[in-house]
Amino acid sequence: MLDALVSKFKTWEFVLLVLVVSMLLAASALVPGFTRPFSISTGIATFAPAALMALPLALLVIVRDIDISVASIAGLSSVAAGLAIQAGQPVWAVVTFALVTGLLCGAVNGFFVAVLGLPALLVTLGTLALFRGLCYVLLGGTPISPLPDFFTALGTDNIPGFVVPWAIVPFVVLAVVFGVVLHRSTVGRRIYAIGGNPETARYSGIHVARIRFLLFVVSGVVSALAGMINMGITSQVAPDGALGLELDVITVVFLAGVSVLGGKGRITGVVLASILILALRKSLQLLNVSGYTQGIAVGGVLIASLLVTNLSRQFFESRRERRPDPSVDAVHV
Amino acid sequence: MTGSVKPHDEHGALDVLGDAHPVMAELVGASKRFDAIYAVRDVSLQIRAGEVLALVGENGAGKSTCVKMLGGVYHPTDGVVRVGGEDVTLRTPLDAQELGIAVVHQHPGLFPDLPIYENVYAGRPLTSRFGLLDHARMSDEARRWLETLGLRVDPDMSAGLLSTSEQQLVEIAKALAFDARILILDEPTASLTIGETERLFSVIEDLKARGVAMLFVGHRLEEIMAVSDRVTVMRDGRWVADLVTADTDQHHIVELMVGRELTDIYPDRVAAIGDVVLRLRDLGVGGFVSDVSLDVRAGEVVGLAGLVGAGRTEVARAVFGIDRPTHGQIELDGHPVRITSPAAALARGIAYASEDRRGQSIIEDFSILDNATLPVVDQASRFGLIRRRAEFALVDGPLQRMRLKFASYAQPIGNLSGGNQQKVVLAKWLATNPRLLILDEPTQGVDIQAKSEVHHIIAELAQQGLAILMISSDMPELLGTCDRIYVMHQGRITAEFDAERANQIDIGLAATGLLTSDAKIDTTSESDLEKLRSKEEEKKAEVVSVSRGDRPAWRKVLARREFGLLVAMIAVLFPLGIMNPDLLGASNLGNLAVTTALIGVACLGQMVVMLTRNIDLSLGSVIGLSAYASAWAMSDLPNVPAIVGIAIAVGVGVLCGAVNGVIVAYGRVPSIVVTLGTLAIFRGIDAILSSGRQISSGMVPRGWLDWTAGRFLGISMLVWIGVALFVIFAVFLRTTRFGRDIYATGSNPAGADLIGIRTRALTFAAFVISGTLAGFAGAMWASHFATVDGQLAYGLELTLVASVVVGGVSLRGGAGTVLGVLLGTVTLIIIQNAITVARINPSYLQAFFGGAILLTVLVDTLLSRRSTRLTRGAR
Repeated sequence: MLDALVSKFKTWEFVLLVLVVSMLLAASALVPGFTRPFSISTGIATFAPAALMALPLALLVIVRDIDISVASIAGLSSVAAGLAIQAGQPVWAVVTFALVTGLLCGAVNGFFVAVLGLPALLVTLGTLALFRGLCYVLLGGTPISPLPDFFTALGTDNIPGFVVPWAIVPFVVLAVVFGVVLHRSTVGRRIYAIGGNPETARYSGIHVARIRFLLFVVSGVVSALAGMINMGITSQVAPDGALGLELDVITVVFLAGVSVLGGKGRITGVVLASILILALRKSLQLLNVSGYTQGIAVGGVLIASLLVTNLSRQFFESRRERRPDPSVDAVHV
Repeated sequence: MTGSVKPHDEHGALDVLGDAHPVMAELVGASKRFDAIYAVRDVSLQIRAGEVLALVGENGAGKSTCVKMLGGVYHPTDGVVRVGGEDVTLRTPLDAQELGIAVVHQHPGLFPDLPIYENVYAGRPLTSRFGLLDHARMSDEARRWLETLGLRVDPDMSAGLLSTSEQQLVEIAKALAFDARILILDEPTASLTIGETERLFSVIEDLKARGVAMLFVGHRLEEIMAVSDRVTVMRDGRWVADLVTADTDQHHIVELMVGRELTDIYPDRVAAIGDVVLRLRDLGVGGFVSDVSLDVRAGEVVGLAGLVGAGRTEVARAVFGIDRPTHGQIELDGHPVRITSPAAALARGIAYASEDRRGQSIIEDFSILDNATLPVVDQASRFGLIRRRAEFALVDGPLQRMRLKFASYAQPIGNLSGGNQQKVVLAKWLATNPRLLILDEPTQGVDIQAKSEVHHIIAELAQQGLAILMISSDMPELLGTCDRIYVMHQGRITAEFDAERANQIDIGLAATGLLTSDAKIDTTSESDLEKLRSKEEEKKAEVVSVSRGDRPAWRKVLARREFGLLVAMIAVLFPLGIMNPDLLGASNLGNLAVTTALIGVACLGQMVVMLTRNIDLSLGSVIGLSAYASAWAMSDLPNVPAIVGIAIAVGVGVLCGAVNGVIVAYGRVPSIVVTLGTLAIFRGIDAILSSGRQISSGMVPRGWLDWTAGRFLGISMLVWIGVALFVIFAVFLRTTRFGRDIYATGSNPAGADLIGIRTRALTFAAFVISGTLAGFAGAMWASHFATVDGQLAYGLELTLVASVVVGGVSLRGGAGTVLGVLLGTVTLIIIQNAITVARINPSYLQAFFGGAILLTVLVDTLLSRRSTRLTRGAR
């Protein structure tokens, strides 16, 4: 018989699935225009950057770290891209420049947290401000536009013949990659080990600091990618690009069932949670609810999902303590 | 020599010395069971007034369990604790304290951020009239107590800066200040020098004369003989004997401590010993290990015996690459090597099974299989992907050898018994194909059946040519499984025995430092004891306890962070003032002061929250929401006095703070996430409320705008309000129990719980306070800025956190002053002002604030690491 804890998280994804299906059905029925192809594709495209950034953030939370500077890295990378565009660089150079910026930002975070051992929360709070501030410093007040076709296509076009926008393709690809890495590879096993017990992981020969550093760098690069998608969606590079997106990203991560204590969480959860928040945002937008007011819903979902996982964890732990004397183990082999 | 071992009568009372020393506290037939294993079984001991009872026994004898039962940390599974002749139930350590029982632990649990005198009076502060804390009196009294213990330190210093031995003395001072009738000392001399120990003993004599009943748990038998009146010996969780100290001697005590039958759980083995695999030459690790030389050969099982704290685990950690040796050499197969990490050690064929199974050897949520394959997953993978079958194949062999009892490999390891978990750990290390296996207490917490199986496995492994170094406190285990045994004492090797010719007594004596060679005790004990004593006398000259007398007051002021901030402020203002004289003009300074007041009030709230180890990112939204709510109310309600608007703003703030507080304190959700969510929620509510409208000055009554517009002595009303609030909070946080309890909660939450502080309620209160202050700030903003919309105070979160962090409030909780917050706020505002005046883009500000936070956290962390390393250097 599987332990209650394992089955609980299998159940959480199931709960999410049920919620997603219910949400989509309800929205299709009650929200005018929800099922229109245009709504679907713009909804997916607009949410793509946040969903993308949730993938590496999930891994970071699993190893007991956090990165709240992701939206600022996205903004700064898009500013870097914008500057490259202004300098007349070809598209591949622009993309590289942006990705390198993201990499460097992630490395800064990783250095302070994984190498120097400073608290991840405060460091990324500081870099959230620092990177965003650099956006303004580098770009001033005037947004850059127009952008090369590549970016606008990335942000607004659909895959020919489908309702699905190009913008979500990186998410789909990376979700598969991250899923395989996390659930099937040696690196993924190590990530779960670090989250489960960092000391044991270290004593088992895992390079804990190295992996944490790497995850921050990956978060930086992926945020840069998200920044470029965002740039395409808004058709401009502005210093407040992706501003405030961290709320959605963090909500997706915790709604996905990634544990605040570390060591638990699955990519399928991240995908389902993304769909849920996406549908929520789109529905509210179609109902003419303002951005700030949508924030109430998202903030509420964030807190609710944490409370629910917390309370159920306490419940399952008290059940576990009442299990029979473990010196008499289960069925002999 | 028979010693005076008196039988217990049915109540377990030893009647030799009669009722001149009545029994103050006792354990009567007490047992304590954890899962299936008894840590202590049917133990009775009596602590009498005016006497010292020594409790002795080897590691694992059950001494600390007895201490914990008397101290209210554990409840006896059977039997009772009796105080003053009456059976009592001690639900928490607080109950024990109320009955006059004070425990001085081996690892002091002080509040590191609070001053020493507050630690001495933790839980029972001295108050003056009005019930306010009397800091001066506590400081003086604490100084007195500490001086009687020979510790001359400034009682205003933070307790975290003291060394472990000094902290122990503070714990003892705490017990004395509480006027404890029953004092339990758990290994109090472990980190004290001879001089400090002598002083402690004279205090103990003094306490004896005053009728205090004392229990002394210790290892150093010469101390036991010197200070105790009676001795209770425990072994394997059971009572062995009660002795009268005057009628016995150290040899006899050791006999009783170690003597037990060697049961036949150790297999016979013919050792086929090969070449030297591991050789340590004069290895030294920090203050824990010095000049350790030993070697381990292939096919050999070498034991490492000694008491807790002897340095055995530190040797293992150095060989496994966790700690760096400070001198000496490690040689593998004759070649000196540098092992920089566990991964490097594993690559060289060294495996280490830690003594802390739960903390360092297993991952509770992982399955048996995943635990067993953790170090070797790479070998079961192709292109980085794990292949299930290969994984299985890697560890199936080792797991089968362990004769594990389980349902399936997929079971979480947390379900298994200690013995079976240990077998999985062994299998895990075996799967790495080591040449050298270091086992640290391999059968601790393991039942007898599993113990026997583990020993057989160890014998098999040695048979196959593995070199095994086994750290153990279990004498029969050492004698039964090892070929040779080294004994460590206080970081050095005191003896090396051939297992065939050794016996438990000799090992016990070597472990307590009484024996330092392979010879028998009768012939060399005296001279060895002399050698030992003279070495200790030399150590007396070393000053471990730093006599930190008072530094002159002005030096103390200089060292404080607030002073540094003041200097930084002036350093920034001065050149800027020269470049732009307007900066220092009266009107600009007035503006700065007003801005400081407007922001500083909310910073106070952030400070209170951060003192409890939390953070509140939603304060900016709360200000905005309460500002709009009050402005809206004032514009709607016909001509009500300003106080109504203020009340509404504060009410909104209280509500918001309560929401945060409930979720953080009672829902146990981390504050960073909660307040990120409420930031969005409150802002959204603000947006709905305002719906894009603006409340302008014409729409509100005159009185509403006036209450912040006035001036007194030429200074704006807002500044006066701000100053008043800062002063009130400074006094409040310093002189009320509530305020000090907030510091304690953040400095050491577990310790705070232990002394009865209601940490959850306090955390909730902290959030309500910050909400209230933010609400009030909202009222101030609404009145001052006259025009209010739904975007007010947008983006203020960063300034609030930055001001507080720069002002010296630690996110780790427990540290920070109101003055610091004020200076931090002013500093950042001055810089903001300077940037605006110099016409630099104000958006540079965000980058600057972010950098300031990073820099402050960096400097703070590095500094605190340095100071703790310095003071904890030599143990």
